[in-house]
Amino acid sequence: MVNVEYLIVQIIVVIMAAPLVNGIIKKTKALSQKRKGAPVLQLYYDLFKLFKKSTVVSDTTSWIFKAAPYIVFTASLVASLLVPVTTMIDSVWYAGDLILMVYLFALGRFFMMLAGLDAASTFGGMGSSREAMISSLIEPSILVTLMTVGLTAKSTSSYQIMEFMKGVDAPLIRPVYLLTFIALLIITIAETARIPVDDPSTHLELTMVHEAMLLEYSGRSLALMELGASIKQLTFITLLANIFIPHDQFIFISGAGAVLISILIYLIKVIFVSILIAVAEVSTVKLRLFSIPNLAALAFILSFIGFMQHFVLGR
Amino acid sequence: MSLHKLNAKIEDRFPKYIYSSQALNDNELYLEADPEHIIELSMYFYEKLSCTLVCLFAADERALSGSFKLYYSFAERQSGSLIILSTSIDQNNSGFLSISKTVHTAARYEQEIHDLFGLIPIGHPELKRLVMHGNWPEGNFPLRRDFSLTHKPGASNLAYGFTEIKGTGVFEIPVGPVHAGIIEPGHFRFSVAGEPIFNLEAQLYYVHKGIEKLSEGKSTEKCFYIAERISGDETIANSLAYCQAIEKIAGINIPERAEYVRVLFAELERLTSHLGDLAGICIDVAYHFAGSQFNMLRGWAYEMATQLCGMRFLRSVNKLGGVRKEFVAGKEKSLLEQLNTMQRELEDTVDIIRHNSMFNDRIENTGVLDTKIAYDLNAVGPAARASGISNDMRKQFPYAAYPKLTFRVPVYAGGDVNSRMKVKIKEAFESISLMRQVIENMPGGKNFEPLEPLGPYKKAFGITESPRGENIHWVMTDETGNIFRYKIRTPSFCNWPALCYAVAGNIVPCFPLINKSFNLSYAGNDL
Repeated sequence: MVNVEYLIVQIIVVIMAAPLVNGIIKKTKALSQKRKGAPVLQLYYDLFKLFKKSTVVSDTTSWIFKAAPYIVFTASLVASLLVPVTTMIDSVWYAGDLILMVYLFALGRFFMMLAGLDAASTFGGMGSSREAMISSLIEPSILVTLMTVGLTAKSTSSYQIMEFMKGVDAPLIRPVYLLTFIALLIITIAETARIPVDDPSTHLELTMVHEAMLLEYSGRSLALMELGASIKQLTFITLLANIFIPHDQFIFISGAGAVLISILIYLIKVIFVSILIAVAEVSTVKLRLFSIPNLAALAFILSFIGFMQHFVLGR
Repeated sequence: MSLHKLNAKIEDRFPKYIYSSQALNDNELYLEADPEHIIELSMYFYEKLSCTLVCLFAADERALSGSFKLYYSFAERQSGSLIILSTSIDQNNSGFLSISKTVHTAARYEQEIHDLFGLIPIGHPELKRLVMHGNWPEGNFPLRRDFSLTHKPGASNLAYGFTEIKGTGVFEIPVGPVHAGIIEPGHFRFSVAGEPIFNLEAQLYYVHKGIEKLSEGKSTEKCFYIAERISGDETIANSLAYCQAIEKIAGINIPERAEYVRVLFAELERLTSHLGDLAGICIDVAYHFAGSQFNMLRGWAYEMATQLCGMRFLRSVNKLGGVRKEFVAGKEKSLLEQLNTMQRELEDTVDIIRHNSMFNDRIENTGVLDTKIAYDLNAVGPAARASGISNDMRKQFPYAAYPKLTFRVPVYAGGDVNSRMKVKIKEAFESISLMRQVIENMPGGKNFEPLEPLGPYKKAFGITESPRGENIHWVMTDETGNIFRYKIRTPSFCNWPALCYAVAGNIVPCFPLINKSFNLSYAGNDL
């Protein structure tokens, strides 16, 4: 049985809040450069404009090119449903767990890579091959990190992990959670095409990864791709915010008011994690392409040490 | 070695080959020889006298002597003299012997002569079109004097012929000519296997404007404006080189105050250019904080230019015989203050980037230009100085007030992006110091010396060190004292092939970074 209230709340919050993250990151970066920067809501304006525009599709493309934006967007949205923004409503946790989330994103990414190749342009193929390399390297790190957290909670469902974490006193001072938090932060940066893995603001096609695959897209297709990417970004941030910094245990009322308060606190946490990501972006430099494996390895090792600390030394 | 000693030495070695020699304008030695002796003589200059071929150009002198003339200009850098070996190619015989196999840097000059004059370099290792693309029909040679400026030759569709590298997994990436971002056009053809680059070939000349043709027959004043507009960010370097050539022909010494003002503007241009490059390098590796710091400093430099002459790109500052008007008087105090602020901010920024290990990892060992290759290709400017070659025209062929000022020429041996960046940072500090010295020591007096009309068939070189490297202009007057032939060789012409070498062996995403560290001009190359 599916909880309809949960679906409505979750979808509205995710779609409405996802572009905000990009705005906050961009604003923070602009301030670090003594610039005023674009408005925080800029991505909303951009998406609104793109949805109204018509799409230009190359004659040499196949159905994959046209289908990919819908698949990417749907996969991201469905995956985001598996990571509840609030635990005040029963989620659809029994429908799928974090492993499903990882592979739903992988499905979207698979079609995005195919679409990058489909138009046979110079840069799309380059972007796809780099994306394939990075994603295959980062995938083991994601699984080890999520499994480590999952083992402590004895579940792979994010809802149950969050429920469990509510009972853990100050998670971030415990080595296992601190290490997996940092690992997941690195993974978030790598998965969402941010510095030091990829530079979302570059105009240099030869250095692009994620953007290179989107170069051929325009109008509504581009808007779906962009929105899909920012939903994915928000989902990872939700994982960070709701697993490692749980807040619902402090809300003692129940009903609609509690859900509202919970979502507000959640949004504040999202802003906090976004600023954290922006600070990481400001203080780092894009890595050489072939140094990215080191970053993936770092995330892997951090979560593995966390695992060893908790299950071997912790006993 | 003085010109006479040099001349005596050459005549001693080749008594039969040189049939005329003439010393002009203090440091230019013009020698004439037969075409068949050119290879031997060039080898001698290049290998025994350690001279570099700094320019090779042709002039259509059929109306004067019934032949095309080729000028091989060698720089003897120890004494600051130029040896110009010239030879006549009979108008009925359009071939000449290529020297590219010994003097590698000659290859592109010979291609250029082939495209623009229709003279065929015999034995050239890779003779294909350079200046003219496939749409330019055969048999049209724009720099011949009988080619009218208004003539429209129609279109053609000839193949260009990129170097092909074959093998399993090797493929080509075509990039450009239109790029993302606001930059000039140029086509890059990468041969890659995955990410590593085997070969890069740059097809340029998309903005070929025919500047050399345009200046033919123009008065010296009109041609000044053409010289100023060769490349937007090298206004002073180009106009100064042109002015110096004309002033040499006129045989005048410009007022001392004008010499100082010229240095002030030349260094301001260098500072602006280097700050822009540093910003570009940082932004290309997504180090946006440092990038915007350098861009802010560059904005301050532009602001200073506006205060000095009312124009950020420094046009109409130079004038034949000096500088146009009084630019500095009354602004000294404010300028010194601004320079101090810039120096402090620059020091702080450099200190921050030096301690960012991720940034250093990106720029170290990226795009290494080997010293031997830099020497063979006559790489110039910061690119050469980062590969251990300490050439700087301000020291070797001193001009304006440079001999009276103290400055160092930074040299690093690494040849990578890091070394080029370090050279540019050091030079930016040197520029600030030079500007300070100029403002503090500037003598009074006139701003320019009026010029007499020039005599017929006079020739002279004008040499400056532009922000990108050595900048060489050659002017020859016609019988009325107007321009007969104006040859421009900008630093970018020398450094484009060097860039292609530096890129090989790196991976594709590092190319923009390497490219930015060279910062070559398209407009300055595609004359």
